Amino acid sequence: MRGIGQGLAVCAAGLLVGCGTLPSGDHAPVDERPEYTDVTSPATSIPPAVPPPVPERPAVNGAARSLMDKADAAATNGDFERALALLERAQRLDPDSGEIYLFLAKTYRAKGDLAMAGAVAERGMLYCAGVAQCDALRAHIN
Amino acid sequence: MVKTMLKLGIAALVAGCLVLIYLDAKITATFADKMWELPAKVYARPLELFVGADIGSNDLAYELKLLGYRNKSQLRGPGQVAQENELFNIYTRGFAFVQEREPARRIQVAIAAGRVSSLTSGGKNVELMRLDPVQIGGIYPSHGEDRVLVRLPEVPDTLRQGLLAVEDRHFYQHWGFSITGIVRAAVSNLRSGQVVAGGSTITQQLVKNYYLSPERTITRKLKEVLMAVLLEFHFSKEQILESYINEIYLGQEGPRAIHGFALASRYYFDTPLEQLGLHQQALLIGMIKGPSLYNPRRNPQRARERRDVVLGVMVERGIISQEHAIIARGMSLGLNSRERPRDSYPAYLDLVRRQLRLEYRDEDLTSLGLSIFTSFDPLLQRQLEISTQTVMDQLNPGGNLQTASVVTRFDTGEVAALVGGRSVRYAGFNRALDARRPAGSLLKPAVYLAALEQPQKYTLATPLDDSPLHVGGPGGQVWKPRNFDRTSHGSVLLHRALAKSYNLATARLGMDLGLDQMVDMLRRLGIEGPIPEVPSLTLGAGEYSPMNIAAMYQTIAAGGFQIPQRSIRDIVDARGLPLKRYPLEYDRTVSLQAVHLLHYAMREVVREGTGRGVYRYLDDDFDVAGKTGTTNNGRDSWFAGFSGDLLAVSWIGYDDNAATGLTGGSGALKVWAHFMANSSRRSLSYRMPDGVATSWVDNESGKLTGEGCPEARLLPFIVGSEPPGSTGCTARKSSGLVDWFQSLFRKE
Repeated sequence: MRGIGQGLAVCAAGLLVGCGTLPSGDHAPVDERPEYTDVTSPATSIPPAVPPPVPERPAVNGAARSLMDKADAAATNGDFERALALLERAQRLDPDSGEIYLFLAKTYRAKGDLAMAGAVAERGMLYCAGVAQCDALRAHIN
Repeated sequence: MVKTMLKLGIAALVAGCLVLIYLDAKITATFADKMWELPAKVYARPLELFVGADIGSNDLAYELKLLGYRNKSQLRGPGQVAQENELFNIYTRGFAFVQEREPARRIQVAIAAGRVSSLTSGGKNVELMRLDPVQIGGIYPSHGEDRVLVRLPEVPDTLRQGLLAVEDRHFYQHWGFSITGIVRAAVSNLRSGQVVAGGSTITQQLVKNYYLSPERTITRKLKEVLMAVLLEFHFSKEQILESYINEIYLGQEGPRAIHGFALASRYYFDTPLEQLGLHQQALLIGMIKGPSLYNPRRNPQRARERRDVVLGVMVERGIISQEHAIIARGMSLGLNSRERPRDSYPAYLDLVRRQLRLEYRDEDLTSLGLSIFTSFDPLLQRQLEISTQTVMDQLNPGGNLQTASVVTRFDTGEVAALVGGRSVRYAGFNRALDARRPAGSLLKPAVYLAALEQPQKYTLATPLDDSPLHVGGPGGQVWKPRNFDRTSHGSVLLHRALAKSYNLATARLGMDLGLDQMVDMLRRLGIEGPIPEVPSLTLGAGEYSPMNIAAMYQTIAAGGFQIPQRSIRDIVDARGLPLKRYPLEYDRTVSLQAVHLLHYAMREVVREGTGRGVYRYLDDDFDVAGKTGTTNNGRDSWFAGFSGDLLAVSWIGYDDNAATGLTGGSGALKVWAHFMANSSRRSLSYRMPDGVATSWVDNESGKLTGEGCPEARLLPFIVGSEPPGSTGCTARKSSGLVDWFQSLFRKE
């Protein structure tokens, strides 16, 4: 009886694990995991849970890329307002892109608006992918 | 005798001159005013098309229908679409956006699994393009007249020539009136037995249109002739003709008069004037004689006959060939499929007007011909209306229970959809903006956030005391809050107290923190207006609109960044030059880490707490966060929550504050969840900011414990704030079961 009970429990657990880790359907999950942080509690040697590091993210989509190129050209010509308008439009097309946040931060900085550059960069930290991008954004935060 | 006659004569002459001067001043003033009186046009966001864009076939078809694109098997001109299942062939109209013109062109859009899978034009891939934006309304002068101004060069040649041929053949020769014209018209009318042409010149008709008075007296006719002559004296033929084309009365839409060909073109055919077909031009010309008599919707046969007569005149005058006339006569009237009320979205337009009135005077808004580009999303609005109606009909069939909802894209703070009441088309009390209701438990996150900003004192695992509480007030009053289930739960961990919305624990927490902290937090979250600094603030005291609440949850959803709610993106003047841009603004007002912890508790609300009902509508792996709100006696039912792309706040209640019998979970949550399940495209992703890490804690005591230990629960903590105590249980082999939080780490 005990064996059967254990067997059933294992099957149930297996089922639940399967359900809990099934890939989602139409709602494509974001391929992100929290950053690894090492924390040790002074009072005990119980190790904290350690989530995996931030993976690389697919590049920004082609449509947003075309707008970013135009924004680049505008910013090079000193037309920061147009560059920002284009970047905002790009962000609507690809809201999860840390690269767009970084570009926004750079453009605000070039325009002289350091407060916005910092705020945008800080928000971008919620979306940055890869150590290099996250570091680049961090550098803009006041 | 002679002297008297002379005196009388001079007096008459003087009187006559005075009358002339008066008429002159009147007509020139009116003419100048009318030339410049252009209402503002309000546009929805343009639909962006690119490979990978999230849009289903039904949605694309709906947007095209709103835009008035005609379904055809073969595309002949702009404004037409041929759809075969999920493949769309569209001849776009093009649009002059701010600093970028989208050309009219033929495109092919293929949709698969709710996304654009291919976008081409002339065989070449198109990287990105925008459809012309839906005009959702306008800002009209108080007399309600709408106009779309067109310049003479923009008027199709055939229309201009046809108009002159039918209404005023000698326009360029006369001085405003024509006696021979009157006589000739009378004779030819008698001869042909039908009304082919009238006796008034275009100039006279213009005067008549300005001062629409029904009398047909000689005095009136004389005044009309005099003013016509004066007009011709002051203004050129081109100016007069242009004004006529923009002024002539061509029908009625309820209380609003349709003046001018450009507006009539949109009203009857949903098409810009320059894209009208010959048969449509002829119909409009024919309607001048009698817009009611020849109303194509009410009297289609008569309208058709009149149109054909006009086509005949145009052939006779050599404006068009016989062949073209034959083709045009063979066409149907070409009306748009159904009459769309112009201001279909009164709640949203109300928001736009209020935001505009902060900066612009009414007279500017109604006369400068501004184009206002908003963030309104007709697709989200449609779903919000469907969800509202579906749920309200279930909860209160045929009753007068009321509701309001606000939807924003929280990444940008842009308001995308708005419902101000159960009758969504009715421009009445806009509850989304103007309802003033206590918020119930919707303010609790502010209490918890204020606590979490003090990580040395409060974490998600801090035990709170959910036992009875009395708070003394002024005048010996005592406030005794109660839990919804009328019981107290003793010691509960902070995260659970919020997820289960325990009043006692929250009230005590708020009092410990201090009311000033709470008010400060609410301000930092974006609540404007009066906030009562009383103990019951912790449980939602005060008066808030759904829009106020949306501002607060906007900041939470955005991760602690206050982003002003915007409905307007750009304003462009009548010449198409940018007047003002409303840029994105961020201000981080709350600790990023504390908000992150709050998100955990708000996710728990929907997974384990009072908001569990959302998963009757949403897929289980679609992550969201939210909060229910219920006020005393269920007078208000609230739900506020967000996914990965949208924030929505819903409210249900009676206008007279009667009890609804609903909680946040049994009422407003349903509208919210029904909407989100059908509209939201992105799950709420999980991303830990710097300075946050997870630890296993005992769910009863809040002490550290090991993975796999009894009651072990994984929680996020601000680094350095982990609980000091431990259960002593070390990590053991886990059962393999993961809770909803752990599964966030495992999403591939």
